[in-house]
Amino acid sequence: MSWEWKFVWDMMPQLLLGVWYTIVVTVLSSVITLFGGLLLAILESVSTRIGRMFVRFWLELFRGIPVLVLLYFGFYVLPELGITLSGLAIGVLVLGFVYSAFCSGVYRGALITIPNGLRDACVALNLSPYTTWSKVLVPIMVRRAMPALANYVLMLFRSSSFLFALGVPVLLGEAQQVASQTYHFLEAYTVAGVFYLAINIPFVYLLHRLKVKHG
Amino acid sequence: MASTTQFSGVERFDAASKTSQDLSGAWGIEFDKVSKSFGSHRVLVDLDLQVKAGEKVTLIGPSGSGKTTVLRLAMTLEKPSAGDIRIHGESILFDALGKPLSSAQESRIRRRCGMVFQQFNLFPHLTVLQNLVLAPTTVLGQAREQAEQAALEYLRMVGLESKVNAYPAQLSGGQQQRIAIARALVLKPEILLLDEITSALDPELAGEVLDVVRRVANETNVTLLIVTHEMRFAREVSDRICVFDQGRIIEEGVPEKIFVHPERERTRSFLHNVLNH
Amino acid sequence: MDKLIEYWPMVVSGLWTTVWVAALTIVLAAIGALLLGPLRLSSSEAVRTCSMLLVELVRGPSGLVWLFWVFYALPLVPGMPRFGPAIAAVIVMSAIGAAYASEIVRSGIESVHRGQADACHALGLNPRQAQLKVIIPQALTQIVPGFGSLAADIVKWTAIVSFVGVQDIMWVANTIRGETYQTVTIYTLLAAIYWLVCLMTSTAFRLLERALPLNRAMAAVNAAGAPSLDNQGELQGGARS
Repeated sequence: MSWEWKFVWDMMPQLLLGVWYTIVVTVLSSVITLFGGLLLAILESVSTRIGRMFVRFWLELFRGIPVLVLLYFGFYVLPELGITLSGLAIGVLVLGFVYSAFCSGVYRGALITIPNGLRDACVALNLSPYTTWSKVLVPIMVRRAMPALANYVLMLFRSSSFLFALGVPVLLGEAQQVASQTYHFLEAYTVAGVFYLAINIPFVYLLHRLKVKHG
Repeated sequence: MASTTQFSGVERFDAASKTSQDLSGAWGIEFDKVSKSFGSHRVLVDLDLQVKAGEKVTLIGPSGSGKTTVLRLAMTLEKPSAGDIRIHGESILFDALGKPLSSAQESRIRRRCGMVFQQFNLFPHLTVLQNLVLAPTTVLGQAREQAEQAALEYLRMVGLESKVNAYPAQLSGGQQQRIAIARALVLKPEILLLDEITSALDPELAGEVLDVVRRVANETNVTLLIVTHEMRFAREVSDRICVFDQGRIIEEGVPEKIFVHPERERTRSFLHNVLNH
Repeated sequence: MDKLIEYWPMVVSGLWTTVWVAALTIVLAAIGALLLGPLRLSSSEAVRTCSMLLVELVRGPSGLVWLFWVFYALPLVPGMPRFGPAIAAVIVMSAIGAAYASEIVRSGIESVHRGQADACHALGLNPRQAQLKVIIPQALTQIVPGFGSLAADIVKWTAIVSFVGVQDIMWVANTIRGETYQTVTIYTLLAAIYWLVCLMTSTAFRLLERALPLNRAMAAVNAAGAPSLDNQGELQGGARS
């Protein structure tokens, strides 16, 4: 069997639907990841021993368990606890939580690079903790964390392909559907692969620019 | 294991630095119309500097005037944008036919220089003895026992033979720099380049390092090219001082002349700032 | 729970599959990184750029996408071989692992202070000797932790091989669940097993760190105590000032 462009044209609509879902998943999960990670980092910094232990536990959990296992867990176990969510919702939540754990590490690293003297200055200026965080610390943290955060968003995008296991029509899922329906495995998976690569390119370029700018 | 051509260089090292062989009149190192630019930034402009074998020359001047670059060029850490550099009459850049040197030829000539850095640059994963013995065994092919004997000798010279099995991180800055000097001397270089070797040290610790340099200056025939801000020391140890500014030598002469009767206004203002604050 | 105990042999076999697939991938990724890493630091800009593009190409699509392509699509290209599922999985994961690991090697080598290279040059060491005896021993202190983290990730990656029919622990879990429907227990145990294997992998590399030259030097320093400033008696017979 060899390449036939006619089939590529035929399968485009389905594949493009897959691209759309992939992007939706990535964007939604990224929102959870970027904000959740920030919250976790702030929580770890300001809270008591118990709060820190909770954050540490959360992190360890996601560092040692594969995303796939967590996805199955969410999809099959939650209904038994009475919570039924769609595959898309579970996928977005799982990816969001897992990568928020990694991103909180990045935020924490950025926080450490801020000298204590700056926080002392905020106290000396009588700034409330809320103002200190929102107007001073968080903007600095975000700026310094950006290259690493962009890297994790990229990894999140790549992980979106796992969601096909829950029936979410991400690009890989659509490719598999098309392939099993038409038996044009070569065209289906190659075009899907090319799409994945193509979406990577602006990301990688952005990453490179960020790394150069924020070193 | 090593060919004879490799060892003939070593014999000359011995002759140059250990005995009082008369090398007067021989050139140690010469800079011939050397210019160096980094991009559009001109660091050295048409430098002409001749240092006799066994002479001790100190380069002084404001930061950024090109002094460190002179040492780095001599050590072949950088290549000049224009001009030639010769050690004992032999160019370190071009062979007799004017073509660039091969890396083997360059290595042979490079061995005649040793350098001590502001940041010491000792190898942190090796003990003091291993630091000193690495180059003789790897580059010169010496037997380990012979290299260790020589290393101990130089450690004695800098007063640190008790630290022979310590790691650099266990030593103070002054001790580390003295080890760095011993490490450079162990290869018996004909020319020793000292790049602001006390600038990174607490003032308390600078003295012990300068004492070692005095010993080297007084007890060996090594040609010394020193960059320093320690003016009192420069005056004591140098045969000649060169004052740098913006990539050129603006004045040179014996220490008495430079420090007591400087001719150029720039020299006067530089010395005034350095000595009085 | 007792019903699950019947499946014990299957669990062991599945676990063994996961472990050897992960181990083989880790080893091949390390070898690949050692070949690819130096290319990323080559003095030739062309080599550096090409190897960078190769790394990004390999990392671009996720492991799952590559696996499906290598297993389903590649055999359809005339002249290309058909790989068994386990082999296809190991090839794909090793390649991606090598791509990530080569970046770890590169940044580890770049993190070694430039003064070390200057000192090697000043002592007459040629580039190969400098890399072997000075730069790489120090770079390993950065590389090994990073690689240990990657190795733990590789253990997690192996879960995808169940999709092409490799009977690893994930496949076993899904199979048992299909027969017994004890979903919560099974997936909880599965998560715990992966977590343990990841922990053991990280611990193994952390132990390896202790054997590294720079780490051993630092351990000796910490054991012996901080340097003292009492050096008055140190200089013998030369302190004329």
